[in-house]
Amino acid sequence: MSDTNMITEADLNAYLDGELDPVRRAAVEAYLADNPAESERVAAWRDQTATLRALYGHVADEAMPPRLSPHRLAADRRHRMMRSATAIAAALVLVVLGGVSGWVGRGLATPNMSEATLVSEAEAAHALYTPEVLHPVEVSGQDGAHLSKWLSKRLDRTLAIPDLSSDGFSLVGGRLLPAATSAAALLMYENRDGSRVTLYIVPKVGEETAMRFSSGDGLTAVSWQAETLGCVLVGNLPRETLLGLAKASYGSLDAGANI
Amino acid sequence: MSSFLDDIETLVPALRRYARALTRNTDQADDLVQDCLERAITKQSLWRPIGPLRPWLFKIMINLYRNDRRRQRNSLEQEPLDVLPFEPSSPATQGARLALAETAAALQRLPAEQREALLLVALEGMSYAEAASALDIPQGTLMSRIARAREALRTMVDGTGPRLRSVK
Repeated sequence: MSDTNMITEADLNAYLDGELDPVRRAAVEAYLADNPAESERVAAWRDQTATLRALYGHVADEAMPPRLSPHRLAADRRHRMMRSATAIAAALVLVVLGGVSGWVGRGLATPNMSEATLVSEAEAAHALYTPEVLHPVEVSGQDGAHLSKWLSKRLDRTLAIPDLSSDGFSLVGGRLLPAATSAAALLMYENRDGSRVTLYIVPKVGEETAMRFSSGDGLTAVSWQAETLGCVLVGNLPRETLLGLAKASYGSLDAGANI
Repeated sequence: MSSFLDDIETLVPALRRYARALTRNTDQADDLVQDCLERAITKQSLWRPIGPLRPWLFKIMINLYRNDRRRQRNSLEQEPLDVLPFEPSSPATQGARLALAETAAALQRLPAEQREALLLVALEGMSYAEAASALDIPQGTLMSRIARAREALRTMVDGTGPRLRSVK
């Protein structure tokens, strides 16, 4: 009976659960026959199992609530999808009609969804933070090296922070924000008049694109997608000024990406 | 599609049973099963290549249950428990009813991971391989959880150990 010493608690559980091969099972049975205390323990576990089944076993025999029928759930889901497909189709018709009437002859592609999302996120961030006097940024622009290192790490991209001083804008600083699918960096610049622009940067979300303008609510946004970054520059300034700043930003961000 | 639905339909009674034992609350258990079925129907294309249906469905439900628990802990909102979670099919003696209620209460005091493991094997009759797959843990981990759960339950119900106190 040398292997009786090697019967472990795991063996006893596996025995109870019918997980042992016949040889091992016979060894456990022999061991239990010689060890009444262990045998009692296994019997207690067996009673436990019976009690658990007495407590909850009957649930499986209860009449099924109709809401738990998989066929019904699948049918409900199909209806929901059909309704939303109809709604989407209707919305698409409106978009197409709007596009046709509004953009005839412009020769411009409408921005794709992700870029539209990007622009609205950037505008929301701009509107939230530029009025802030005391805490417009998390990390001040005076600590530019740290800012660049931090944001690069969080965006998993080399981020060379654009220097817009030759355009009359100094760096206020930056912060990290949650975006739709990732983190976003928000950089804020200010000119001598106290006008602020923000540059919103996310890891790339779409195809490379040219710069696009959009405006509303007194704000103008210039958005573009570079090799590894999606960018939106937002401000309440003339288009030409913003375009100049966007070009300068594009240049230095693009240079950073190639490091 | 419809054979998939038929297949999961045969597992609904077991899912309800397990959910009831986990939550001890009829409505909460059925909500959990419904969420699980809806998710399974949505994800069915992901399932097909992977393997057996039963551990997969239980895995979905256990994850939903854990999310619910996390949310409840955060909101500090306690769901009322059914007082006696069973209707004995034959009139039980008062002693037997007490033993059942005591086990039910002790079960709730097990660490959640032990309760999830023990119920899969003892109540649902899953093999160790199936249960380990449902819980996404190695079989050795499953076995040690079950062993600890059984001993803890025994100690609590026998009254030979620290009764209904924290059980590691």
